[in-house]
Amino acid sequence: MIDLDKLRNTAAETVSRDDVKHLVGWKKGTFGYRVAPCVIENAEEAESLVFSPLCAANLATYITLPEKLPVPKGEQPDDRKTALMVKGCDSRAVVQMLVEQGIDRDQVVIIGCSCQGVVDLQKVEEKFPEPLDTVEAEWKEDKIVFKLPDGEEEVARDEVLADNCLICRYPNPVIADVSLGSEVEPAKDGEDSSVKEIEDLSLDDRWEFWEKEFSNCIRCYSCRNVCPMCYCDDCVMDRLNPAWIYRSVNYSENTVFNLSRAFHLVGRCVDCGECERVCPMGLPLGKLNRKLAREVREKYEYEPGLDPEEKPFQASYRPDDQEDFIL
Amino acid sequence: MKNNGNPYIPHAATVEEAWNETYGDRCIRTFKVVFDDEEIRESWEHRPGQCAIIGILGVGESMISISSSPTEGKFLRFSVMRMGKVTKALHQLEPGDKMMVRGPYGNSFPVEEWKGKNILTIGGGIGQAPLRPIVEYVKANKDDYGDLTTIYGSRTSDDLCFRNEFENMMEDDSVSCHLSVDVEEQDWPHFVGFVPTLLMEVNPSPENRIAITCGPPIMIKFVLENLKKLGFEDEQIYTTLENRMKCGIGKCGRCNAGNLYVCKDGPVFNYATLKQVPEAFA
Amino acid sequence: MSEKILNKDKWSDFVSNVASSKQVWTMTGDDTVTFTPCAEAEEAPGKVLNATVPPKNVVFPQTETLFRFMFGQLEAELPEEAQEAVVLGLRPCDARAMNIVDDLFSWDEEDTYYQDKRQKTTLVGLACNEPGINCFCTSLEGSPASTEGLDVIMADLGEKYYLQAITDKGDKLLADVSGQLEDASDNDKKAFQELAEAAEGKIKRGIDASGIPEGLPNLWEHELWQKVSEACLGCGACTYLCPTCHCFDIQDELEGFKGRRCRMWDSCMYGEYTLHASGHNPRPTRRERTRNRINHKYNYYVEKFDKIACVGCGRCINQCPVNIDILNILSKVKEAL
Repeated sequence: MIDLDKLRNTAAETVSRDDVKHLVGWKKGTFGYRVAPCVIENAEEAESLVFSPLCAANLATYITLPEKLPVPKGEQPDDRKTALMVKGCDSRAVVQMLVEQGIDRDQVVIIGCSCQGVVDLQKVEEKFPEPLDTVEAEWKEDKIVFKLPDGEEEVARDEVLADNCLICRYPNPVIADVSLGSEVEPAKDGEDSSVKEIEDLSLDDRWEFWEKEFSNCIRCYSCRNVCPMCYCDDCVMDRLNPAWIYRSVNYSENTVFNLSRAFHLVGRCVDCGECERVCPMGLPLGKLNRKLAREVREKYEYEPGLDPEEKPFQASYRPDDQEDFIL
Repeated sequence: MKNNGNPYIPHAATVEEAWNETYGDRCIRTFKVVFDDEEIRESWEHRPGQCAIIGILGVGESMISISSSPTEGKFLRFSVMRMGKVTKALHQLEPGDKMMVRGPYGNSFPVEEWKGKNILTIGGGIGQAPLRPIVEYVKANKDDYGDLTTIYGSRTSDDLCFRNEFENMMEDDSVSCHLSVDVEEQDWPHFVGFVPTLLMEVNPSPENRIAITCGPPIMIKFVLENLKKLGFEDEQIYTTLENRMKCGIGKCGRCNAGNLYVCKDGPVFNYATLKQVPEAFA
Repeated sequence: MSEKILNKDKWSDFVSNVASSKQVWTMTGDDTVTFTPCAEAEEAPGKVLNATVPPKNVVFPQTETLFRFMFGQLEAELPEEAQEAVVLGLRPCDARAMNIVDDLFSWDEEDTYYQDKRQKTTLVGLACNEPGINCFCTSLEGSPASTEGLDVIMADLGEKYYLQAITDKGDKLLADVSGQLEDASDNDKKAFQELAEAAEGKIKRGIDASGIPEGLPNLWEHELWQKVSEACLGCGACTYLCPTCHCFDIQDELEGFKGRRCRMWDSCMYGEYTLHASGHNPRPTRRERTRNRINHKYNYYVEKFDKIACVGCGRCINQCPVNIDILNILSKVKEAL
């Protein structure tokens, strides 16, 4: 449980600091169940911040998203800090960025919020169709309460939580300058059973499953753009010279894109679930990433986004490695 | 290849001559090409200022200004700067090689409207390539126009395009030709300084004169300031814009600067029009 | 123009009948609904409000071969001509969108690929009985039963559909597949009109668009563009799902000795959309790109073709992962004006 007043006061204090440029948080959306990331620059705006089971957006991506424009002559670049509100998975994304030295620790002020899981809107809409008026929601022990226009509705948490939240092993931020909310117990079972279901299929059936999914991909690149770990200035998928993948949309190129992205995320993906949430075609991207994450956990005993001092998985080598090649 | 009204089908053209204007990393290479198909060669018409999309099958296409005037003959000249994937491939073409050409696209300099007026062109670096056709056109139609003044400069003498053509123009009494390089150089007999400064030196009168300028954005900015100082009205000033282009026919939607499609409403623009469109100066 | 009735239990036969001579596109899919060609359809449409991806795919495919070539040859091999197609069950907003985009694809040069498909496509629309929460077609000269751009309009009257031909093409279609159709009565027509009126009343969101096209140029440097674009991820979902968005890229592809030049959907919200080879980018940040997108739809397109390039389908609002809401942006624009 998070005390909203405390959250807003903390945010107001933080954004009023001289060394903080702005604070990225969540605010109520324009309709239904939506919550929008927002950038606030002064204490008054902090009143609009919220934290609820609807706050699915991973704000860590906003550290690296703003474009760096050339600074006009005579002016100094504005290198004040960015304050950030993070849930458990979001904080792991920040840690992973630190591990990779994609950002500096003193670039960010982290306000950690212990999270009991965010809802999957598709699951919620099956129960309660999205109304036009904005809806508030809150956690209540093992239930989620929705304040709909017609009245309050309660539903069991497990029925509406996002897939990755049901198996969340890190609901409390692993790094924070300020911690809000009481500690939350991790999920009892941290494994995605649907991954095992696909693994149990025959090779032909597995190809068929993924062929159907990847044929639906429209290569809008939403998954890549929302992912906090995809912050390369020059993404290899955009390169035309040489063209690693063609821009035309068909099963072959789509498969290369999605599998390449999954492999670029090996040992880096923090399972925040954003890719799956934003995909307009409903591709089960989380399954791909969780499968590879499990391999890394089991075979290399490595989990990304926990210790900023840790070395990056894909970029480190141990002399006592059993293999006789680097990888 | 006949295109049957399909605007995306390019035609094959043979490179008759090719030479480098400049050398180095972003070098400029000029191509003189002739269409393979006789019907297309004979029926091709373009006006000074228009562009064409040239490319190589399997690599891509690029929109390049046609830097030859239709008065020069049944060939096309393109001066291409080596920048990216397509231009790198084009730079490897030698006489006898083929390139694909489609066009002509865009509007042109309003040569009918300008009859009887004095013409002034101010170019910098590769910016002279879209200005060359109007210079050649006015020279070929001397009687229809007043006097012709060209001002052209680049960073060093090695970066000048059409060097020998300009040397000839300096000897030609009918053209008032002025060259400059940015910094002092051994054996450089002409002006030393930036093009906008040379413009003030030449001090052309705005009386019945059209000024056309093209070059790096920073040069254009100061040239425009100086033209205003000299008393030129917005309507007397023309420039050409460029943008990333793909289809060249106003369909793919990417070349617009504000509400102006560079491939259709341009590339030639009157400064009075551009002033209303902030994005044109981005 | 003929008016007919089709009983819902004859829907499957009707589709098969149409499919015997033309390619039929209908909404398919469980979780994500799109328009796909199908030879038969079990379920009658109307359950789902609208497909996630609009049917612009029918006349403007996501990836389309312009021509093929062999390495070293200079001959272009054009793709096969399009088939006759019928889109069954698209919503009036999507048909209006096609009408709007038509203007651009025939501006001066005809885009022969688009025109070929467009002329061979018959649009059979399904009027909306229950508009979605983010629909605002009525603010932009549309309506849940608008016939603009449609060849035939269908309305769900409960047990049966009412069909009305709007154009000669539509009339011909209804005559050709008359096997399952019966004549409509005056009551049926009345029921359609009542449904149409009722549906219009159910639209909750909207904007008064008057003054926006003229006023946008004055807001070029306004601070609202920074505010509304700060959450944007540049993901491009809004553009791909928008029925009036038509921007595309052209790329050459090689496979051994064979190659093709093809075009594919592109998005003005991507960073590399306007990136010059020199490295210069006239729209370097999301603020400029968002500003360009709104201006293109509500100002530039109006200046060129006298139509607002937005039909109020609401897909961009529904899909945006960070709740960037075009109605919100437009109301800020109106405030600033």
